[in-house]
Amino acid sequence: MSHVLIFKTNVESEEQLQQASLLLNATDSIIKWNIDREDIDKVLRVESSLPHISNIMNIMMDAGFACEELLD
Amino acid sequence: MNVHLYLFTMRTRDENKVDAIHEKAVEIIVKSGFDGLSMQKLAKAANVSPATLYIYFKDRDDLIQQVAAKEAAVMVAASLENFDPKLSFAEGLTIQWKNRAKYWLQNPKQAKFLEQVRHSPVGQEVYAKVKKEFAQVMTEFVKGAVKRNELISLPIEVYWAVAFAPFYQLVKFHDDGKSMSGKPFKWSDAYMNQTLSLVIKALTPEK
Repeated sequence: MSHVLIFKTNVESEEQLQQASLLLNATDSIIKWNIDREDIDKVLRVESSLPHISNIMNIMMDAGFACEELLD
Repeated sequence: MNVHLYLFTMRTRDENKVDAIHEKAVEIIVKSGFDGLSMQKLAKAANVSPATLYIYFKDRDDLIQQVAAKEAAVMVAASLENFDPKLSFAEGLTIQWKNRAKYWLQNPKQAKFLEQVRHSPVGQEVYAKVKKEFAQVMTEFVKGAVKRNELISLPIEVYWAVAFAPFYQLVKFHDDGKSMSGKPFKWSDAYMNQTLSLVIKALTPEK
């Protein structure tokens, strides 16, 4: 079963996207991801084999990005 | 795993929510165009959180494509209901007009939305599929009718212009609520049947 995890980030520029993409692509549990940079919340959407929200937040925040779970 | 996380990740697809999202997306796009639709605006209109929206859709383009694909499937099914390409030309064209009329009268917003999709870059993939689904059955219908000498052999554009453009002109009058003279106009089966019989007459070979 895959989990859909939704985060608010501050990934804006193409360069930031490249940087985030290196991190996310290197994470084994992530099946698919995308960042909607058109949206005000720069939403990161992750399809993951594990429901590890905090893990992904840490990966992003360690690289200097803002990343928090987008709550209902 | 905390309780919140559990609920969040185990959330299942809620079809009522998805329907509300589709419906509002169509409404917003018809009213304000593709550029008028943002995920935030749509979430508000459909009474769901942006997070929920992103559970179902990757981004705006993905959403538009999914909504368009669904609406196109509804339209194709409605247009081909009870239609058999082996029907006589007059019978077959009558069913097509009736189906299209029913669809337009019952789904005016969705019909307009699909028109917008057809003219947009986002919609090309969806529309190519619609075209393909129609092409096969309509080609069989037209070829059969020509072979049985029930229909004049014409370039496909001329055929379409005569067979369907009059229908869409009536739809347009209805949609505007008035005709070219400014006179109030409301769709009626009588107008449709009168126009249709002239169309069939024009396309039928002389004996």
